[in-house]
Formats: sequence, C-alpha cells, structure tokens
Amino acid sequence: MAAAPRQPCHSMSLDVLIGRQNPDGGWPYSRGGSWTEPTVYAIMALLSAGEFAPARRGLAWVGSIARRDGGWPPRAGVDMSTWVTGLVALLGPRNIGAAPYDRAIRWLLDTTGEQSTFTYRLREWLLGNDTSERDAKYPGWPWVPSNAGWVVPTSIAILALDKENRRQPSTRVRHRIDAGHYFLLDRACDEGGWNYGSSHPLGYPSRAYPETTGLALAALRGVRSPQVDRALVAAQRFLAECHSADATNWLRFGLRAHGLLPAGYCAPPGLEFRTVPETSLNVVMIAAERGRDLFWD
Amino acid sequence: MHPKPTRRQWIAGSAGAALLAGCKTSGPPAAPAAPSRVSIVRAPAYDQSLYGALRRILDGHRLNVRGRTVVLKPNLVEVEPGSCINTHPLLVHAALEAFLAAGAASVRIAEGPGHRRNTLDLADAAGYFSTIPKFEDLFVDLNVDDVTRVRPRTQFSGLPQWYLANTALGADLLVSMPKMKTHHLVGATLSMKNLFGTVPGAICGWPKNALHWAGIAECIADLHAIFPRKFAIVDAIVGMDGNGPIQGDPKPVGVVVTGSDPLAVDATCCRVMGIDPFRVGYLRLAAPNLTRIAEQGILQTGEAIASVATPFALIPEFRGLRLTP
Repeated sequence: MAAAPRQPCHSMSLDVLIGRQNPDGGWPYSRGGSWTEPTVYAIMALLSAGEFAPARRGLAWVGSIARRDGGWPPRAGVDMSTWVTGLVALLGPRNIGAAPYDRAIRWLLDTTGEQSTFTYRLREWLLGNDTSERDAKYPGWPWVPSNAGWVVPTSIAILALDKENRRQPSTRVRHRIDAGHYFLLDRACDEGGWNYGSSHPLGYPSRAYPETTGLALAALRGVRSPQVDRALVAAQRFLAECHSADATNWLRFGLRAHGLLPAGYCAPPGLEFRTVPETSLNVVMIAAERGRDLFWD
Repeated sequence: MHPKPTRRQWIAGSAGAALLAGCKTSGPPAAPAAPSRVSIVRAPAYDQSLYGALRRILDGHRLNVRGRTVVLKPNLVEVEPGSCINTHPLLVHAALEAFLAAGAASVRIAEGPGHRRNTLDLADAAGYFSTIPKFEDLFVDLNVDDVTRVRPRTQFSGLPQWYLANTALGADLLVSMPKMKTHHLVGATLSMKNLFGTVPGAICGWPKNALHWAGIAECIADLHAIFPRKFAIVDAIVGMDGNGPIQGDPKPVGVVVTGSDPLAVDATCCRVMGIDPFRVGYLRLAAPNLTRIAEQGILQTGEAIASVATPFALIPEFRGLRLTP
C-alpha cells in the first residue's frame, strides 16, 4: 500500500492525533474514553498517512467491540448496534477482517428507518394516520434501530454499500443503494442541500446545513438530478463562506465526488481543527485529493 | 347523529378500551410539599447589569454551593448569528461569575445540542468564545462526553435505561439555562426540556430521535426525575414565539426567571408566556401532584406574573394551550 506523502504542514495534526490515542487503542472525540466514530476516522487518517502502528492498535480496539448481531456500538459498554456500523464497514475487509466485514454489511442491509417497516405502517394504518408510500419504497437508515431514517446515517450506509458493491456486485446491495439515493433526493431542501432529515418538518421548510450537504453529495456520487445540481451550487456557496472545520471537510468530500472541488484547494488559514474527527478527516481529505482515497478505494 | 365509526376507529377504540380496563388508577394525591420559590427579575437587556443581577438572584435563593461542582447547561441549537435561538452567552457568563463568587469549587459550561454536530462551531457562532474568557477550557460537549448507563426512577417513556453524560450526572448542581421559547412539538421549551442536552448525540444521533420515538413529554418527565439537584435560570430577556424552537420570532420579555424547582419555574414561565401549564403534557406528567405547578402552590418573588406576562404567539397546533382568564 503506497502511503500519501507526509507534508510538514500536516505533521502536527498527525502528531496530535497519535498523541490522543487512548491506552485501549481507540480515540475520543476530543478527550475522555474511546468512541467508534472518531476511532474509524483516526484509523483512516493514519492509514492514508502511512502511520500503521497506531492504526493497527485502533483496528484491534474496533475489532474488540464488535457485537454479536453484526453491528458496532457507538462505544464499548453500550449494548446496541448503531449507524457507526456503516463507518466500520468503510474500513473494508482487509482492515477489519472478512467475517466481521460481511456481518457488518448484512447488518446494514437488514436495517431500515422504522417508518419503512411493515409493523410501523400497519400500526399507523390502524390508527388512521397517513403513511408515506415513499417511506416504504425508499428506506433510509436510522441513527439507532427502531427510529426514523436520517440523512447522515443514510449517507454513510450508502458509502459503505457502494464500496462493497464495487468490490463484489450484488443486486440486493444495489437495490438498497438506489433506495438510499431516492431517500436523499426526496429530502433535499428547496434552497439546495440537506438538513438532517425532512426538508419540510411539520410543513415548514428547513434550512440546509453545510456538513450534511457535503456528506449527502458524496453519497450521491454519479447521480444526476435537479436536487444534486441545486445542492452543488449550495455546497460551493457554503465552502466559500464556511468557518467550520467539520463542515469544510464534508463539503470538500461532496464537491470532489462530483468533480467540482477546485484543483489545489486549501482549507482557509485560521480554520481550527479542534476535534479528532475534524483533524482526521482533514488528513483523509488531503490524501484523497492526492489520489489516496479511503472512502472510495 | 354521530357518524358510523370506520374500521380503523373501531379497532383503535377497542384497543383503547382494553388498555384502559387494564390500567390501575393512581393512588391518593401526595401531601402538598412546601411551596417552591420562583423569582422573576427584570432584565431589560443583555448588558453588564446582568452580573450584579445574577449575584442577587443566587443570594435571594440562599443557594449553598460552597465547595460544590456546578454545571451550567445553556440551550445551544443553531448557528444563526443575531438570532434569539440560543441562550445568550452574557447571561451564562454572569451565572458563571455569580456561582464562583458564591464559593463554588468549579463551574463548567456543558451542552449537547440536538441539531448541529459541530458544537464548538455552534458555540463560537453564538458568541460564547468571544464573551466568555477561556471558554474552550470551561466547556464540555455533552454529545461526546463519557457516559454512564442509568436506570430511571420513573418509567413514563418506557425506556428501561438511559446513557447520560457524566459531566451532567456528576454535578453537585446542574443549572438548566434555557431560552424561553415556544416549541412546535411540545408547546413550550424551558428548563425541563433543556435536559435533552444531557443525552449524548453520539449514542442516539442528531436530532435525538430516540427520545422523539419514546415520547418527548415522557422523556422530559423521566429526565427530570433522573437529575435531582437542579437549579433553573431561564433567559427570557428576549425569548422566541411562533414556530419555535428554531424558526420562531424574537419575543422581548425582559426578565430572568429562576428557582430550584424546575416544575415551578417552568409553570411560572408558561404563565408569563400566556400558556396554561396544566395543558402542557410534560408538566402534568412530572408533577407528582398538580399543586406543584399551581400558582397558589408556588412562592412567587420579584415581579408579579401579571406585570411581565406577554402572550407568546402559538402555532395553530398549540392554540389550545392558551391560558384563559
């Protein structure tokens, strides 16, 4: 595996990242105990930078908290599998092992937003409440099982399944990816881009967020639609105005997925990468812009 | 003549009757407790006068925080410069200084926003970094804090266990500092609803959808029981009415409402807003007997409710909450 060249301007980020690794091998979001989400991003950053030893310790921690149902909890000691399973699956079978990876993919395929389930729809029908046919046809993914589908977990699940489908094409996987795409397109805000969930909660239009817009655009790589076109315009505007490291990372990711990230793009000076996910994703995005993309490859 | 019930109404009605038949009636009402003290203090603007006002408020409530750990929990929701969505940072800083002056061993600021994941960016946009010196050192993002599994004393939501942020659980005094706002799902969001921020998004997502599915009012009532040592400081200098808690309009009220009993504080805030607290679901659920939220059961100090009350605009779904004379 060819490592991305380590640049002086990013070595501090990597050093900080390595310094924040907990003795158990995982990472906190900022400080404290280890969580799955920042650990996955830190592993991606370290792998793309060629820092294999701390990455391996991180992978061992991830492997140690896998759940019997095939999913991953948000941190050790939490007895439920959640959306972070999609993040772990993004690490691929080579990093987490073939059997755990296959179970993670199955967990993702078996998980939908509650509004798409037969039991929920039957209950709502009996109560005389309206249910959307679109929810049945185009299920997304929830943060936590038995909850509604949302933009972020749906986007992450699509990215993981898309990677799997390129590795090993499958009709079932393709079907869920397509349904996830429809789910996202259905929830695009009028102004372009995405909020966390509905575009019109309780009938009022919601505003798009930079970070969700960037992530959803990445999940919609290769999809052409008026919603994507509007979102790309919004994402370019967000990127020009953005003062958030988190949002900037995801906007770079989304725009690059559609070939619209300006060549040689640099995050604005003074942007503060305060957390482990922010620092890690910045490293991952820089490596990706140089051709070493752990989200896609 | 009543219309013939539809199949769905018949099934739902039968199920409801069966459920009711199985329900136990509640026991005799508990003996009335001593009245809770709630103060309403005029504060016409976000200015330096808040520092003195907060010290006087704490003195008035005779809060003993000497040597204790205090956690201030403001309400941070959205990045919208100049909006009235978030608790104003000057009020939070004034509270921090007042608790330190009262002898608290430590005072931290902690919040776990329900919408935006980048909490520090949100706090920055809301003016916390520029208003509160060394804010980042004082602040804990409850969405990603270490957690402890808690089994609630009450079972309104039916959730058998909660994962809650250690910083909030470990505080000797948790100070809920909400903005006085209408809420498009529960009518009003005040000091009790503000406790949703103690539930980490890293466990249950953004927004905290698991709490919506379990019932917002029920979850508020359960959280209220989980945190026994609370104080409430409600930012009603400028509140929000209409389609709150995000898309509503600024509503100047010019007061700060405080007290050690969040039920009594929130009931008083409702009256200031022109909302009948007896019609707010979570207040009814959480009040062991309704005298806790009755006006005569609350020891009111400072300004009289009538002198500061100003009806908050309500969206059509909540017009039934309107307080009638």
